Amino acid sequence: MRFSLFLGCFIPVRLPHIEKVARSVLGEIGVELQDMDGFTCCPEPVGFHINDKLTATAIAARNIALAEERGDDIITLCNGCTYVLKQVNEELKGDPDLKDEINEVLAETDHEYRGTIEVKHFAQVLNEDIGLDRLAKKVERPLSGLRVAGHTGCHILSPPDVMKFDDPFDPVVLDNLVAALGAEPADFSMKTICCGWTLTNYGDRQSANQLVGAKLQAMEAAGSDCISVICPQCFYQFDTGQMMAARSLKLDLKLPVLFYLQLLGLSMGHSLDDIHYGQHRVKSPVFEEKLGRILA
Amino acid sequence: MGALEEKPEPGGALERGNEPKTLKIMAEICFKCGVCCVIRDHSCHAQLDAQFNPRQTYVYDCLGSGDPAGNQNIWLCVSCHKCEELCPYEVSPIHVIESLKAQSFEEGRAHPMIVGEIKQIVSTGYAFPLTGASSRQREKLGLAALTQGSEEDLKRISEKTGLVAKLQRYEEAEK
Repeated sequence: MRFSLFLGCFIPVRLPHIEKVARSVLGEIGVELQDMDGFTCCPEPVGFHINDKLTATAIAARNIALAEERGDDIITLCNGCTYVLKQVNEELKGDPDLKDEINEVLAETDHEYRGTIEVKHFAQVLNEDIGLDRLAKKVERPLSGLRVAGHTGCHILSPPDVMKFDDPFDPVVLDNLVAALGAEPADFSMKTICCGWTLTNYGDRQSANQLVGAKLQAMEAAGSDCISVICPQCFYQFDTGQMMAARSLKLDLKLPVLFYLQLLGLSMGHSLDDIHYGQHRVKSPVFEEKLGRILA
Repeated sequence: MGALEEKPEPGGALERGNEPKTLKIMAEICFKCGVCCVIRDHSCHAQLDAQFNPRQTYVYDCLGSGDPAGNQNIWLCVSCHKCEELCPYEVSPIHVIESLKAQSFEEGRAHPMIVGEIKQIVSTGYAFPLTGASSRQREKLGLAALTQGSEEDLKRISEKTGLVAKLQRYEEAEK
């Protein structure tokens, strides 16, 4: 099972430890990752794709064209990259006039979009291509008793007819992936509400603090030991954003967040050091102690 | 809805289905049931901002502004699609708000963070600056250094689509 690895910007620049874990864990479960020269930012959906759709579509089409030249489908590690690349891929495949218009722009770069490959988020690959049964067989140390609040994020859920990932109002895929590791998915209110990361960029930081604070309190009320996410911006919001929200709202919040591939790594025998938990802003001795008992 | 009517006529294939007339009708269908904003567990996150309440929701604010593209609140929308999925009719506030953002960008009135991010992407290929700290962290983790090299392609694309000219207008306005 081979893919062109689309790293995007956020993980390699801001969260390289997640890249390190992704490369090692995906490799161990049989997903071969091909590095590509020339990929650029997807480009970012809310800042770029909405505001200059023609340019953003051409840049996304160029990224897809590069992978087409290699011949492998794209695997992404980020909801935002998936949102843009999948939408553009579907739009161009279904609209020959738009495809011609974009290829006229791409002619300036000697690349051509043909529409021959698929774009998949790693969670989609785990759920559909690997499958929950095969994933469960990779588990060496079941995370029995660990209550995990799964936050799927917005941009992989909608629009559902394009993203084809999960139900936007009752997402279950991430919870199923968590359960496959022997852990217990936590049910909490405000589950499908945005993490608020984008608000910190283009909006009001105080509103973002309140949003992430309310979500974290709902997760804690549901007895969660940690959070799991499949998007780097959500990770950042629940890690650095949690620290800032706790300070600003004077809340005693300490709920560690793990990128799903870190959680998978733990269940496959990796230690907290191996998954670079030490790099996280939010660490909790309560969580570490409970995990230690589970993995002992 | 004046600014919606004044939006330039659609040009290329990307504009199909997002024509101003369609968007204006979509906005006018809204009969203010509030479902898109007031269901705490499932609806619009921007509604949590202190300036909105169930009688004046985030979506009413965006759809009903006298100068919609000049309403800074449009930038609070993160395109999560919840409003579209919850709406019992076919208002699709997300498409109206996104169209207002594009119009605002076109007119040189976009949020400075948006303009900065677009410039950053087309000049470097990355949405975030490559810092010394991230290079050192990558090296420590045994990861390859990040490379650039697609800037010429991005420049050619942006020139062809007219983005370079738009960004120049922003730069001139700053002077």
